[in-house]
Amino acid sequence: MAELKVEPIESYALSNKVKVKTLFSRIGVIGCGTEAQGIARIASWYGMEVVLVGRDKGCVEVALDGISKELDKRIQSWGLTPSEKRAIMGRIEGSLECSSVADCDFVIEAIPANPETGHRDLVERKRIFRDVEKVVSEDAIIATNATNIVITELASELNKRERTVSLHFFINSPEAKIIEVVKGLYTSDDVYERVCKFVEMVKRDVIPVMESAGIVSMRLYVVLLNEAIYTLMEGIATMTDIDKTMRIGLGMRFGPFRTADLIGLEKVVIWMDNLYEEFGQQKYKPAPLLKRLVRAKRLGMHTGAGFYKYDESGNLISEDFLSMKIG
Amino acid sequence: MKILVLNCGSSSIKYQLFSMAGQNWDVIAKGGVEKVGLKGSFMNYKKENGEKIVFDGEIIDHKTGIDYILGVMLSKKHGCLSNLGEIDAVGHRVVHGGETFSSSVFIDEKVIDKLEESVSLAPLHNPPNLKGIYAIQQLIPDVPQVGVFDTAFHQSMPKHAYMYAIPYSLYKKYGIRRYGFHGTSHRFVLNRACEIIGVDCNSVKIISCHLGNGASIAAIHNGRSVDTSMGFTPLEGLIMGTRSGDLDAGVVTYIMDKEMIGTRSASVLLNKHSGMLGVTGISSDSREIYAAAEEGNELAKLGVEMYDYRIKKYIGSYAAAMGGVDVLIFTGGIGENEKRTRAGVCKGLEFLGIDIDEDVNNSTRGEEMVISKPEAKVKVMVVPTNEELVIAQDTKTIVEKL
Repeated sequence: MAELKVEPIESYALSNKVKVKTLFSRIGVIGCGTEAQGIARIASWYGMEVVLVGRDKGCVEVALDGISKELDKRIQSWGLTPSEKRAIMGRIEGSLECSSVADCDFVIEAIPANPETGHRDLVERKRIFRDVEKVVSEDAIIATNATNIVITELASELNKRERTVSLHFFINSPEAKIIEVVKGLYTSDDVYERVCKFVEMVKRDVIPVMESAGIVSMRLYVVLLNEAIYTLMEGIATMTDIDKTMRIGLGMRFGPFRTADLIGLEKVVIWMDNLYEEFGQQKYKPAPLLKRLVRAKRLGMHTGAGFYKYDESGNLISEDFLSMKIG
Repeated sequence: MKILVLNCGSSSIKYQLFSMAGQNWDVIAKGGVEKVGLKGSFMNYKKENGEKIVFDGEIIDHKTGIDYILGVMLSKKHGCLSNLGEIDAVGHRVVHGGETFSSSVFIDEKVIDKLEESVSLAPLHNPPNLKGIYAIQQLIPDVPQVGVFDTAFHQSMPKHAYMYAIPYSLYKKYGIRRYGFHGTSHRFVLNRACEIIGVDCNSVKIISCHLGNGASIAAIHNGRSVDTSMGFTPLEGLIMGTRSGDLDAGVVTYIMDKEMIGTRSASVLLNKHSGMLGVTGISSDSREIYAAAEEGNELAKLGVEMYDYRIKKYIGSYAAAMGGVDVLIFTGGIGENEKRTRAGVCKGLEFLGIDIDEDVNNSTRGEEMVISKPEAKVKVMVVPTNEELVIAQDTKTIVEKL
């Protein structure tokens, strides 16, 4: 058996071309919540290496475990094989150091909201943007995952402000093969195009949007949810039937109530407050029932109850949890 | 004459450089590029003297990969070419030729247009094949290129064999019909088998079993494919490592309803979770399944029985389709190396004249051999396949006529 030799390949290039780096071969994700997990999972699924940076060892472990469980669900529903799962997990590396994103050409900040306030800490996000810029290369792109007006404010923390962009992954509906890509005030065309390339690489369509509260998806959805709640409160139909009507009748993947439970009611309320503040229109003001549920910590699937009730693995156990008596 | 053979997959490139001297074809370099466009890409290279080298580094796309393959072949340190002009032609494996290509072709702009049109029939395979063709056009534009299709050999099937009994309009609209695959392999082993036993391939009835990770069986009457088990996609027919093969289409819609899955997951289910892996729950690797069966694992035994039985049914039906059979060929990784599969398939087919010599079968592994008893009516043979050589030979024939 001949001895196996290993050599670098670069010097063998036929045409002495400039060394090109693979675009998006390694990306950084800051945060360990469900959004960060979803982004890491999607990028790794399509062959990219991912560094997932968390606050402490515990939350990184929880995040990796969360991704692993999500992939198990895909295996159970026949969409993935165990060996493909191993490869996907093998491409995700957990880290506690922001500096480990140094060789990433794309870093996405996706820290979760503070469970107490429901807000994603802006000061912390600004700090992350600055820290990331210190370690990454000149042309690396720094992004946030958001649905509100924030990217321009985050960009203004940086030396190279044109390298920023905001994305909105539809984490809660994996079948939604779109990503809203938000151009901030500073975002350069080149950066925007490269991010569109990234979206293409993860087999999703770009929905180009300008920086605006709620962008398209949330601005329209929250109004629908409010209307759904008022329809329920007026006793026009039961919650289950409202969801069913929108699901079957209008082809939504989930109805408005189930969607809210999946997203988390506390997040929905924050988006609505944000829209209300921005546009001053009554239609964005969270319906009283929504506020009441949030105060009662019935925040959706992740707390075991929101509009509906769920078991520990997030399966719906009660359809009638909140059904009002229809008079 | 030197011919480069390329087989471009979605993230890989396999290559072999053939040199023809007299009637002999020598492989002077071979290997593969893996993880094209992904982190950790590398290139394997095996020299004529057997020395193996791995080249590490970023290989962002197929063009870069081919650029490096040519670069290494030209290099002082490891090369086997003094200049690129030594490459007389490039032959490409192309998975799907649709109904347009019934034999290998010289690739010109018109052929490329037709290949672009056929992408919808093989969305996973044809685009990388095309990338390889474009890369050669850019890197060594004066070198003629030839396309050799997996489907071409089966274009001789009669219409009653290749049509599905679904609305004819769907055939017109989307080209839904049986195309068959592994054509290059079936063609190679049929010719080789005829050479070995000294018969005219235009006057024999051959059944050829290509049993590898993917598996298909072909009925070859007078040198022409008249039926094959793979269909519109390589999912139909025999049971494979992870593919179900033949299945009641009603099962598919029933599972999709019950498991609430879409077309994508259904495709993964039938292509990757099924077959021998799905039945046995052990592996898609026949060696591991046989090992488990010998230890008494019931599902492994069942898997082996199902695997052999499916092949046996096809042999019976193809013998009926051709009105007999003269030669039965085993090829592909399992067909060439697995005596137990060959024995299991042939058992009970003595009424057809298929009668193998147990001792010869048991001692045959990966080599050309007639394994039937001398007096048996049907010659049962093991013939290792060599698709790359067929591609090189076709390429030579076509460019010599230019």
